[in-house]
Order: sequence, then structure tokens, then C-alpha cells
Amino acid sequence: MSTTEDSASIEPTIIEPLQNIVQRNQVWPVMAAKYGVENPVPPWKTSLDGLCDALDHAACDADIPSFKERRDEEDVLSATVYSSLPYPESQLVSLAHSLVARGVIDGAELERRLATIRARLEA
Amino acid sequence: MTDHDHDHDHDRTVKPMVDEITDFEVLEIALRELCIEKGIFTLEDHRHFTEFAEQIGPTPAARLVARAWLNPEFKTLALTDPMAASKEVGVDWFEPTGWGTPSDFMAFQILENTPSLHHVIVCALCSCYPRPILGNSPEWYRTPNYRRRLVRSPRQVLSEFGLYLPDDVEVRVEDSNQKHRFMVMPMQPAGTEGWDEDQLVEIITRDCLIGVALPKAGVTTNVITDTRPAVHP
Repeated sequence: MSTTEDSASIEPTIIEPLQNIVQRNQVWPVMAAKYGVENPVPPWKTSLDGLCDALDHAACDADIPSFKERRDEEDVLSATVYSSLPYPESQLVSLAHSLVARGVIDGAELERRLATIRARLEA
Repeated sequence: MTDHDHDHDHDRTVKPMVDEITDFEVLEIALRELCIEKGIFTLEDHRHFTEFAEQIGPTPAARLVARAWLNPEFKTLALTDPMAASKEVGVDWFEPTGWGTPSDFMAFQILENTPSLHHVIVCALCSCYPRPILGNSPEWYRTPNYRRRLVRSPRQVLSEFGLYLPDDVEVRVEDSNQKHRFMVMPMQPAGTEGWDEDQLVEIITRDCLIGVALPKAGVTTNVITDTRPAVHP
């Protein structure tokens, strides 16, 4: 069951791979300016929307945040730990934070997967 | 091969693209893959919802209002049976699951503005929005700043969008929630008499359908606002 405390307690957790992402700051406004791209949102945005809807669709069946919890946590995290990120980067990283902090995804597992995917995309 | 021994039009060459893999792109893929592997949802689910997200936008809502302005019978339908009126402009609120989207309920109401009443929508709780017919909410709509302040000081917030309403116009803030979605039907502005549906659609912007702007002949873009971060969300 969701409570405000659930969302408030999620904030102090530091998730290292996400902190590294924040520090590298490859946010869309920077990337778009660097490459002269005009798209207002990054290309992964609709896939993130699909991901959020798929999670909401599954919320009753798994130990994952409900729509309300997900949005509450995004609000808290976007204003604190990830306040330097623009939207929708803040939405994506907050979602990752929620999933790791709730134990849906393990932090080390996420770190390994980030490396594997980057290697795959850069191959 | 020299620079110009080909016959394509240089103006039509591919637009620039971001030529590096960003951490955010990688993160989105990682979350998705891990969720799929853990059986939280399937690849098919994700593709289905992403395709839905790709095709939603504010145009059907604008067409619905334009048609209502031109056709009193359709206007009655829009106000009394908004689901049926939505279907007439190509939006089936039962998509994409058969029960609507996972987070958008199908209780939908269209709020008609009058000379003495102006509506504006918000979701004070999170960011509920009539996505199937209006597309994704703009960033500012999601911010605690807009959500909290619109409820307390609607005229002040509207003025930040450049909308100043006379004191004799009542402002009604409709709070969307997990059971209801709303959309504003603004009044047809002066200077658009005799316009056809397509012309009217052009000036019925997303902002007008949220209620932070009024349609105006010649204005076809949304207001660009600087969203301030919330200090105490």
C-alpha cells in the first residue's frame, strides 16, 4: 500500500550508476546543441512512455511501484537527488532509482547491464 | 566521385543527428530489458504501449472542438457523450488495452467555456491528463509548481501564460484525478467566422484545450513557459 512515507524514504538512497550518469550529463539539450539537432525531446522518450505504461499495466501483479507511487517518487527525486537533470531525463533516472530502491532491479545488476548495452551499441 | 556528380537535392539530405550513445539511451534500454527478463511485462506489451505513445497527440481534440463549433448537433454529442464524440475524431478510449491506457481512466468530460465562465484543468495529485485525445502532457503540467499553485492562485498562474481574464469571468479549476479526465472546449474567437474545420483546427492549440490560453485567429503555437522547480514538492 502506498504512503507518502514510502516516497519520502526513497530519497536518501544513493545509487552509484545513476550518480555517474548524472555527472556525465549527456542530457538532450546538451546533445541537441552539440549536434545541431532540433527534436525537442530525446528519441528514447516514447519508449520510456511505453515502459511506464507497461509497468502501470503490470503494477497489480508484481512488486513494483503503482502509477501513483511512481509519480510521487518522480516528483520527490526530480526535486532533490536529480534536480540538475532536465525533463524527461529526470523522469527516466527517477524511475530507475525507484526500481532499484524497491529492489525490483539490483544496483549491481543494473551497472553490469549498462556496460553490456553500451558495448553492444558501440560495437 | 566529386562533390557534385550526383543528382540529389542537398536541401533534402538527412537532418543532423546525435552521433554518440548517451547514458540515458542506454539506461532506458537497460530498464526495459531487465523488466522483460524478470517477467514484469513482455516485449509485446512494451511495443504495444510504445506504438500507442507514438500516435497520440492534440490534433483529435482540436478537431473535436472545431467540429463542435461548426455543428451544434456534434457539440451536443461532445458535451453529453464525449466518448462517442471522441470516436468521431478517431479516438477510441478503450485503446490500447480494451480498458483504456493503464493510467488514464475512461470517465471523460468536456468542459464548455461561456462568456462568463472559463475552465482550466490540472492534476493536483500527479499528472492525470486526457492522453488518448490530447497526447502527452507538457512538462510544465507535470510540475508541482503548476499543480499546487493553479489550485490556490489560478488567475496569477494563468497570467504567467499571458492569459488575463476580466474579473467578471469566473475561473473554474477542474482537478483531474485517477477516475476522471477533462478537456476544455473554448469559445470560437472573433475573426474566424466562415472558417472551415481545418482552418479552425490550426488555432485550437493544446494550451487552449488545457485552458491556459484562448484560441485566437493567427495564433497556432503554444505558449513557451519557463517552469520553475518546486522548492518543496
